[in-house]
Amino acid sequence: MKLRTFKGGIHPPENKHWTSHKAIEDCPLPDEMVVPLSQHIGAPSVACVEVGQHVAKGQEIGSAKGFVSVPVHAPTSGEVAAIADFPHPFGTSLPAVVIKPDGEDSWLSNLQFTDPGSLTSEEVIEKVRLAGVVGMGGAAFPAHVKMSPPPEKPIRTLLFNGVECEPYLTADHRMMLEESERVLQGVSLLQYVYGAERVVIGVEANKPDAIALLKKQCADTPVEILPLQVKYPQGAEKQLIAAATGQEVPSGGLPMDVGVAVHNISTAAAVADAVMLGRPLIERICTVTGPAIKEPKNLRVRIGMPLSHLVEVCGGFVEDPGKIILGGPMMGFTQVGFDVPVVRGTSGLLLLREDDVTKAAEGPCIRCARCVQACPMNLLPTAIAAYARRSLVEETEEYCAMDCIECGSCSYVCPANIPLVQSIRLGKAAVLAKKRKALL
Amino acid sequence: MADLLVILVSAIFVNNFVLARFLGICPFLGVSKKVETALGMGMAVTFVMTVATVVTWFLQYFILIPFGIEYLQTIAFILVIASLVQLVEMVVQKVSPVLYQSLGIFLPLITTNCAVLGLAVLNIQKDYTFLEGIVFAIGAALGFTLALVLFAGLRERLELCAVPRSFRGTAIALVTAGLLSLAFMGFAGLVKG
Amino acid sequence: MIAAILSLGCIGMIAAVALGFAAKKFAVEVDPRELAALEVLPGINCGACGFPGCAGYAKAVIAGSADLNQCPPGGAEVVARLARILGVEATAAARQIAVVVCQGDNQRAQLKYRYLGLEDCTAAQKIADGPKACPGGCLGLGSCQQACPFGAIEMTADGLAVISREKCTGCRKCLAVCPRDVIRMTPYESAVHVLCNSHDKGAVVRKYCQVGCIGCHICQKTVPQAYKIENFLAAVVYEQDAEAFEAIAKCPTKCIRDFNEGYPAGSTFLPAGNNKSDAA
Repeated sequence: MKLRTFKGGIHPPENKHWTSHKAIEDCPLPDEMVVPLSQHIGAPSVACVEVGQHVAKGQEIGSAKGFVSVPVHAPTSGEVAAIADFPHPFGTSLPAVVIKPDGEDSWLSNLQFTDPGSLTSEEVIEKVRLAGVVGMGGAAFPAHVKMSPPPEKPIRTLLFNGVECEPYLTADHRMMLEESERVLQGVSLLQYVYGAERVVIGVEANKPDAIALLKKQCADTPVEILPLQVKYPQGAEKQLIAAATGQEVPSGGLPMDVGVAVHNISTAAAVADAVMLGRPLIERICTVTGPAIKEPKNLRVRIGMPLSHLVEVCGGFVEDPGKIILGGPMMGFTQVGFDVPVVRGTSGLLLLREDDVTKAAEGPCIRCARCVQACPMNLLPTAIAAYARRSLVEETEEYCAMDCIECGSCSYVCPANIPLVQSIRLGKAAVLAKKRKALL
Repeated sequence: MADLLVILVSAIFVNNFVLARFLGICPFLGVSKKVETALGMGMAVTFVMTVATVVTWFLQYFILIPFGIEYLQTIAFILVIASLVQLVEMVVQKVSPVLYQSLGIFLPLITTNCAVLGLAVLNIQKDYTFLEGIVFAIGAALGFTLALVLFAGLRERLELCAVPRSFRGTAIALVTAGLLSLAFMGFAGLVKG
Repeated sequence: MIAAILSLGCIGMIAAVALGFAAKKFAVEVDPRELAALEVLPGINCGACGFPGCAGYAKAVIAGSADLNQCPPGGAEVVARLARILGVEATAAARQIAVVVCQGDNQRAQLKYRYLGLEDCTAAQKIADGPKACPGGCLGLGSCQQACPFGAIEMTADGLAVISREKCTGCRKCLAVCPRDVIRMTPYESAVHVLCNSHDKGAVVRKYCQVGCIGCHICQKTVPQAYKIENFLAAVVYEQDAEAFEAIAKCPTKCIRDFNEGYPAGSTFLPAGNNKSDAA
C-alpha cells in the first residue's frame, strides 16, 4: 500500500537505532538548575520571585507578558539562588532564574485532579496557558494561542504530529510507546476544544510498534492513525498537512487558513497533565545521542537541567565532541558550550565527534537543481541564496524567501557545499529589516 | 494574407534583425542589463521603426522617385528618423523620467541605429507594398524587442554566476550573444528566403 | 537639383515645425545647473550623501535641500566646484576616514568556536554573537572589504580588516555593514588611535586577547589631554591629540598605534610620507 507523503524532501540516514529501543529513564536532579525566562516564541516572562525565596515544584517563577507569552515554573522545590543573565540555547545570555534543589522535590500543594468533562473550552484553554504549555516539537509556540483561532477560521481537521522526522531523535517515539494513554487523553481534550470533524495522528512508517499500539488503542474511537512515508521533513507542519489532507497552506499563511491545527503528541500529553492534573510543563523527554556519548538514552529531563549534567548521566564522552547540537542534526541549534540549560523545546542533545563534522570548502553553484528537487516548499533555494548574498532584497522577496521553513534539505543535498540555509536566513532578515524600515 | 504572415514570422524569428542580420548591436549590448530597461528600449524602437517605415515609404514613392532624386535616399531617411527619435525622446522624458535616465545616451542613439535605417532601406529594396512594409516593420520591431528582452533576462541570470575573472562584464555578454544567435539559427529554413 | 534642395528643405521644415510644437507640448523643466552639478560629481553612485546616486544628490544640492559637503568621495574639490555652480561661498568639512579599531587577529585573539559557514560577518555574528570571544573585535570575514567601492580595505592573512588611510574616501559603507561596530570615522589628520573595541574589564580582556585595552589609565596619565577612558576602554581625544604618540611606548598591551609609523601586523599598506611624531 502506497503511503501518503509530500513533494520534495530528502532521506538522510535515520540513526535512530542508538536509542529507539531504550525505555525512558528518569534523569536525577543536578545541584543547580537554571530556568530561562524566555523558552518560547513570544514575549519573555517576567520574574515574579525574589532571590532567597523558597519555591515549590511547579510554582510560577515568571509571569507571562501579554497574550503570546506563557508563565515559567520551578522544575523542582528549592531556593532561588539568583536572577540574572545566563547562557541560553539561542547563543546569547538571557535572563534566567537559578534554583538550588532542596532534594524534597515536592509539588505545589494545591494541585488537584479535574474531570475534563466539567470544564468549558475556555477553561481548558486557560488551564493550558497557566501551565505554560508550548509546542514540544521544538518551535515552542504557546499552545493556548494556537487553541484560540479566530471564529472566522474554524478548524475542520486536527492533526497530531507523531512523525519525528529528524534523524537521531526518538523522544516522541518512546512517548507514543510508553505513555500513549496520556497522549490520547490530550488528543481527546484538544478535540473537545477544537470540535474538528477529523482527528488524525500522523506517524512515520519507521515506527511500526507505535503505529500498531496506537491503532489498537484507538480502535473504537474516531481518531485515525495515519502511517506516512519516511522522508524528511515530513514532521514539518505544512508538509504534514499536505500529506494528511492534500491541502497546501497559502504563502505567508497559517494552517488555520486551510482549517487545520497541528499539535505535537508530546504537547497533547502536556495538555492532559495541565488540564486533568493541574501540573505545569516542567519536564519532557530528551534524546541524548550521537557517536560521541558513551550511553545514548531517552531521558525524562526537567527544564533548567544543565547540558553538562545530562552528559554526566549518560556516561560522559567517548571522545571530545566536535559539535554539540540541541535538537536534531537538520534544524537543531549548535551550542558553544555545556553550561546551557534544557528548555521546553529541547527534544534532543546530539553529540558528534570531530570526524562526523563536514568541513569541506564551498564551491561554485553548478545549477544542478538538486536543491530545487529537494525543497519541500517548492522554492528555488539556489536563486534565493544567490540574491541574498548579493543583498538584492527585492529579488530575494520576489523569490519567496519568507516561505522557506529552513528545514535544511537544500544544504544537505548541495554537492558544492554551499551554505544555502544560512544565506536564505540572511536574506529573510534583510527582507524583514526592509519591511520594518518601510513602516517607520 | 499568408504572405503577410510569412513576412511577420520571418522578420521576428528567422531573419531576426539583431541575431541574424546583426543590425542594432549597440543598444542590444548597451541596454540589456535589466529587463525593464530592455522592454522600454524595445517599445521606443518599435514606435520609431513603424512610423519611420510609413513616412519613408511615402517619401520614396511620392517624392524621391517622381523627382528622380533617389540618390538622396540615405540623407532623407536619416532626416526623418532623426526627427522621430527627437520626438520620442521628448515624450519619454515627460512620461517616464525613470526610463529616460536608465536609457541614457542610447535613446538619442536610436537615430544612428542601423536597424532602423536598415529596415527603411530593406523595405525599398524588397519592393514591398505599403501594407507589406508595415507588417515587415512591426515584425522587425517585435524581433528586436524579443532579442533585447531575452538577452536582458540572460544577463540578469549571469549576474548571479561565478564568471571567471577574464570573462567578466562585456566578454561573457558577447559569448552569450553569440550563443543566442546560434540558438536562433534553429529557425533557419522555416520560411523560404 | 532644384527638386533635391526643395524636397529636403521641405521635409526639414515640416520636421522642424512638428518638433517645435512637440517641444512645447512635452516640455520638461530641467535646471541646467543640475546637469552642471552632475558633471562635477564623481559619478560613483555610492550613496554616501544619503541620496539615490549622484543624480539624486545633484538635484538636492541645486534645490537647496542638501549641503555642499555631503559628498565625501568628492572631497574639497567637489565642494568648491558645486559652490561655484551655485554662486555661494563654501567651506569643506575636515576630511574623515574610517579606521578598524581592533588588532585582534587569529594569532592574538581567542575564538569562542570554529565557524564553518558563509564568509560574511553579519551571518557569523548571528550565531552566538560571533566566533570571536571578544564581543567587540573584528571578525575578519571580509564583509567590509566587499562593501568598499574603492578597494581601500584589505584582510590580513590572520583575519583582520585594515583600511588604507590614503584610499579611504569616507563614504561610510564599511560602517554600515560591520555587525560589530568596530569601524570608526576619524579625522584624517589624526594618525594615532587606540585599537580596541571591548568594554570588558582588564582581567577579562587579557583572557581573550593579547592586544586589547585593559583600561589601565597609563595613557591618560602620560598625556592627560589626549586620552579619555570610558568603561574600561581608552580612546584618543582627536581635538587635542598632538602629543598622543608619547603614550604609545607606555601602553602595556601595545594597543595604541600611530598609523604614520606603520599599519597593523600583516597589512601590506605603507604609511604616506608625513610623520606627525617628527613634527614635535
